[in-house]
Amino acid sequence: MRNLVLKLHIYAGLLTFTQLMLYGTAGLVATVQTAAERPKVPHAIRYVPFKVTPSATDKQVADDVYRALQLPLTRPMPDWFLRRTPENDLLLDFYNINGIWRVVVLERESRLRIEEIRNSLGLFLGDVHAITTGDDEAPPLVRAWAFYNEFAMWCLLAFCGSGVYLWLTAQARSWWAWGSLATSTVGFAALWVAFR
Amino acid sequence: MYKIVRNIHLLLASFSLPFLIMYGVSAVQMSHSTWFQMKPAVHEQALSIPTGLTDGRAIAREIMDRDRAVKGEVSNIQANDTGVVLRIIVPGTVHEVHYDHASGVARVKTSVAGVMGMLNRLHHWAGFWHELVSMKIWAVAVAVVSAALVLLGSSGIFMWFTRRPERRIGLALLTINVVFAMTLLTLLRMAGP
Repeated sequence: MRNLVLKLHIYAGLLTFTQLMLYGTAGLVATVQTAAERPKVPHAIRYVPFKVTPSATDKQVADDVYRALQLPLTRPMPDWFLRRTPENDLLLDFYNINGIWRVVVLERESRLRIEEIRNSLGLFLGDVHAITTGDDEAPPLVRAWAFYNEFAMWCLLAFCGSGVYLWLTAQARSWWAWGSLATSTVGFAALWVAFR
Repeated sequence: MYKIVRNIHLLLASFSLPFLIMYGVSAVQMSHSTWFQMKPAVHEQALSIPTGLTDGRAIAREIMDRDRAVKGEVSNIQANDTGVVLRIIVPGTVHEVHYDHASGVARVKTSVAGVMGMLNRLHHWAGFWHELVSMKIWAVAVAVVSAALVLLGSSGIFMWFTRRPERRIGLALLTINVVFAMTLLTLLRMAGP
């Protein structure tokens, strides 16, 4: 029995190695962040010609922009997300896993201003670690990652169970591991109580 | 060498266990939100504090002085025509304050998350920029557990490689994981902006 659990522990670990590294890295990235807000400085700005259909609603214009630009891994703009700039131009933020395409519809100039706001690699890894299968409408590439993430998530829980089993059935006493577990459990409980 | 690495693996894993269970369970909750009841317990109260205050932090301090149960980080301060709206937050508990500067009444709506809600909030809580000491201690724990997770994976790789019978199948599984994951990550990263 122990040998089987050990094999499964090892194999599952190898099959989810990248995700475990990613989860750890995401935690470290979150640790060194200095604020909840993310930097939104565009790294590139470009203009493309675009003619707004007369008498179109903002939502229809947003859909036309979405179809015209075909920005990868983005989705059609929901109507509750439509905004305007201080100059009263339609402002559309198309999010994807790497950042934002901020599109301003310059109707009077018949063109679009497109700001490309790219997240750092750290933020990207943080976002990627959080992709879940709960989002049915995500693009296929994101869905594929979500399913692998889901597998790794269940494996992480299984590692906790199998790891404890392997520890308790090992020949070595490892009293210091009990001390380590007790320390973190008491610390975790104390913080939980402090937050409540 | 093997024994040292195995002991490090066990030490890191035993220390990280409560946190890893928290992260794993809350990840299941986030991935399958319909499986869990997440409605927080809500109660409201009205507190009388001095009139005419305009500083959100001063308002929060007055409230915390009057009710010791209200504690946390002050955020989302917004002034309006009649007063100030702000939030006082600790993981799992949000005190939403509506202060009227004419009457000096602060209405405090407190939402306390259940166990799953608390786990969810703790999962998202990290970083040393938070104000409370307890939050900074939590940030230390998150940093330690995150580093431990990286070391657990690395030490696991070492221990696997020393087991000769598992090398071939292990190498196949590791290759599948690395190739698949790196391909997807690269494609995702290349998808602009």
